[in-house]
Amino acid sequence: MTSPPDRGKSLRAARPSGGVRWLAIGVFLAVPGAATAGAWFDDLEQALSFSSPGGNLRGRVSGTLDLEGHVFADPPGLIESDGHALFSPRLTTFLDAQLGPAVYGFAQARIDRGFDPGERSLEARLDEFALRFTPSRDAGVSLQLGRFATVVGNWTNRHGSWGNPFISAPLPYENPTGIWDNEPPATSTILLQWSHVLPGLPAPVTRVEKRLRVPVLWGPGYTLGAAVLGAWRDVRYALEIKQAGLSSRPETWREANSEAWAHPAVSGRLAYVPNPAWNFGLSAAAGSYLRPEAAATLPAGRSRGDYRQLVLAQDVAFAWRHLQIWAEIFAARFEIPGIGNADTMAWYLEASQRFSPQFQAALRWSQQVFGTIPEAGRAVAWGHEVWRLEVAPAYRFTPQVQLKLQASLQRGDTGNRRFGHGAAGQLTVRF
Amino acid sequence: MNLRGLTCVFALALGIAGAAPPAAVEGRVALAAARPLPVVNQRYEIVTRGGVLATDPPVAIVYLEGPFPPPVDPPVAEIRQKDLAFVPSLLAVQAGTRVEFPNDDDTYHNIFSFSRPKRFDLGRYRSDERPVPSQVFNQPGLITLRCDIHEHMRALIVVLETPHFVVTGPDGRFQLGGLPAGRHTLKAWIDSRTTREVVVELDAGKTLRVDFPGAGNPAGER
Repeated sequence: MTSPPDRGKSLRAARPSGGVRWLAIGVFLAVPGAATAGAWFDDLEQALSFSSPGGNLRGRVSGTLDLEGHVFADPPGLIESDGHALFSPRLTTFLDAQLGPAVYGFAQARIDRGFDPGERSLEARLDEFALRFTPSRDAGVSLQLGRFATVVGNWTNRHGSWGNPFISAPLPYENPTGIWDNEPPATSTILLQWSHVLPGLPAPVTRVEKRLRVPVLWGPGYTLGAAVLGAWRDVRYALEIKQAGLSSRPETWREANSEAWAHPAVSGRLAYVPNPAWNFGLSAAAGSYLRPEAAATLPAGRSRGDYRQLVLAQDVAFAWRHLQIWAEIFAARFEIPGIGNADTMAWYLEASQRFSPQFQAALRWSQQVFGTIPEAGRAVAWGHEVWRLEVAPAYRFTPQVQLKLQASLQRGDTGNRRFGHGAAGQLTVRF
Repeated sequence: MNLRGLTCVFALALGIAGAAPPAAVEGRVALAAARPLPVVNQRYEIVTRGGVLATDPPVAIVYLEGPFPPPVDPPVAEIRQKDLAFVPSLLAVQAGTRVEFPNDDDTYHNIFSFSRPKRFDLGRYRSDERPVPSQVFNQPGLITLRCDIHEHMRALIVVLETPHFVVTGPDGRFQLGGLPAGRHTLKAWIDSRTTREVVVELDAGKTLRVDFPGAGNPAGER
C-alpha cells in the first residue's frame, strides 16, 4: 500500500502537461450529471445577465471555452508550428446588449494562443466591438459602427466554435497564397518563389514566410469600419467600408492610425432569401492588400491604393430539417503594377447532417486554382492548385458541452509532400 | 320488488353518487422571481430583429397528485414559436399528450431537448409545413426546450401523470375544479428546483382554500 508521502511523490512525478491540464478542466466541466450541470449553467446564465426594471436596457455575457488540439504532417492553413502537433485553448467571451428597440451592441474578447493558433503564450484581445442603430424595424435598415466581421459571404454566420460544423475555416478563408502584405513582389520570378512555384527562397525567409502570406479572406475579418445593413422584401443588403481589405491579417485589424485609413476597403453583399430554406448571395469587395508599413517598399510614384485586391463572390445556403448545405465561390484578383494581375478562384461545398439530437457529421470539399502571370516569355500559374477534403463528426453531451473531431486530406502546396493530412479535436463548453 | 327493480335502484344510487358535485381548490402560489429579459444575439445578422421581446411572467403549475388513468384520446397541446420566443414558455400536460410546435416566424427555428424524459430534435421547418412537427410526451418529468439557432429561447414542459392541473395567473392565483373528493396531495411546481406540496381533504361540492407559502415560509417544500 502506498503511504501518503509516496502518493504525493508519485502525483508530482505524474504532473500533467499544460495541454493535459486544460483537457482535465474541460472534462471536469463536461462530466457532472447533466441535470446538475444544467442547473449550474442556468445559474451562471442568470448571474451573467442583467436587465433594467422595465427591460429597456438589458445585457448578457456569454462565451465558449475551447480546448483544441491539432496533429499534422505540416501545419495546415494559417497555423504556425515547427512541430507536428499543437494544443490551442481558447476562452471567448461575448457581450450582447440592447438599449430600447433601436440600439444593439456587442463585443467579443478572447484569450488564446493567437487568432490563428501558434506556438505562442496566451494573449488577451478584444476582437470585436460594435454598435448597431436601427431607427425602425419597418424601415428595414441599420447602421453599424465598430470592429466587426465582414458582410461578405455566408461563413461568418457560423464561424464560432459552437455553430461551426468544422474546427477549421474553409480553404478560401485560410489558405495562404503567394501574396505578401508587407511588400509587393518586384518581379514575377519573386512572386513565383513566394508562391512556391519556383525554388530559390533563401532559407531564412523560408522559415518565416508563412507569416507574410495572405489568403483570399483572412477568417471573418474583424476590421474597423462602418456598415449599412437591411432588408427589402426578400432581398438582404449589406455595405461596409473598412480600414483594411478581406485578405488583411489580424494585426492589421487592430491598427488605428491615419495611414491605416488612407486606403479603405469597400465590400457589399446582396442576398435573395425567398424563404428560410434558401439564401443566395452575391458579394463584391475592393481594397488594398498591403499593410501600411509596406508603403516604404513601394516603387516611386506608387501608393498602397495601386495594389488592390478585388473580389467577386457567390454563395448559397440551404437548410431543411436536419440537413444544412453551404457553398461559396470567390474570384479574387491581386493587382500588381509592373507584373500584372494575379488571379485565383477558391470554392467549397459543405454539408452537415444531424443524425440524432446529439450526433451530427459534416463533410467539406474545398479547392483553389490560380491564374497565370507572364514569366520569361510564357504564362505560368502563380500558385499550386490545392484541394482539401474534410470530415467532422460532432457529439453534444449536453446543451453546453460539445466534442468535435476533424480529419482532413489535402493535396497541393503542403511543403515537400504532395498530400498532407491532419486531424483535430475540439471540446467546447458554452456558457 | 323483483331483481330487475333492485338492480335499477342500485344503478340509480350509483349514478347519483357518481354525479356528486366535484370538489375544487383555489388559492395563491408565491411565484419565483422574474428572470432578466433576454437579449437576442444578432452579431452576424443582416436583419435586426427582437429589439422588443415579449416574455411571459413567472407562473406556477398546481396539480393534484395521484395515479389517474391515462387519457383515452391523447390530448393535443401546442407551443408556438412567435417573435423569437416560445409561446407559452411553460406548458403543463398529462402524460400521453401530443404537443405540436408551429413556427409562426418567417425565419427558421430548431427546437431540441436533451432532457431525460424526452430527447428530440425537430430540425428546421417553415411556418407553412404540414403536418406541424410534434412530439408525444409519455414519460412524466421536466423537459427543457431550446432553439439551436436562437440561444435565448427557452420553454419548459411539465409532464404530469394527473389530468387535474392548472397554470396560475401571473399573480399566482389559481382555481382548480372538477376534482374527486377524498384525501389527496396538492402540489405547486414553482420552478425546476422548487415544488411545494400539501395534503388536502377535498369534500364534494366544496371549494378548499390553499395558499402555497413563499420563500420565507418553506413548509411543505420538497
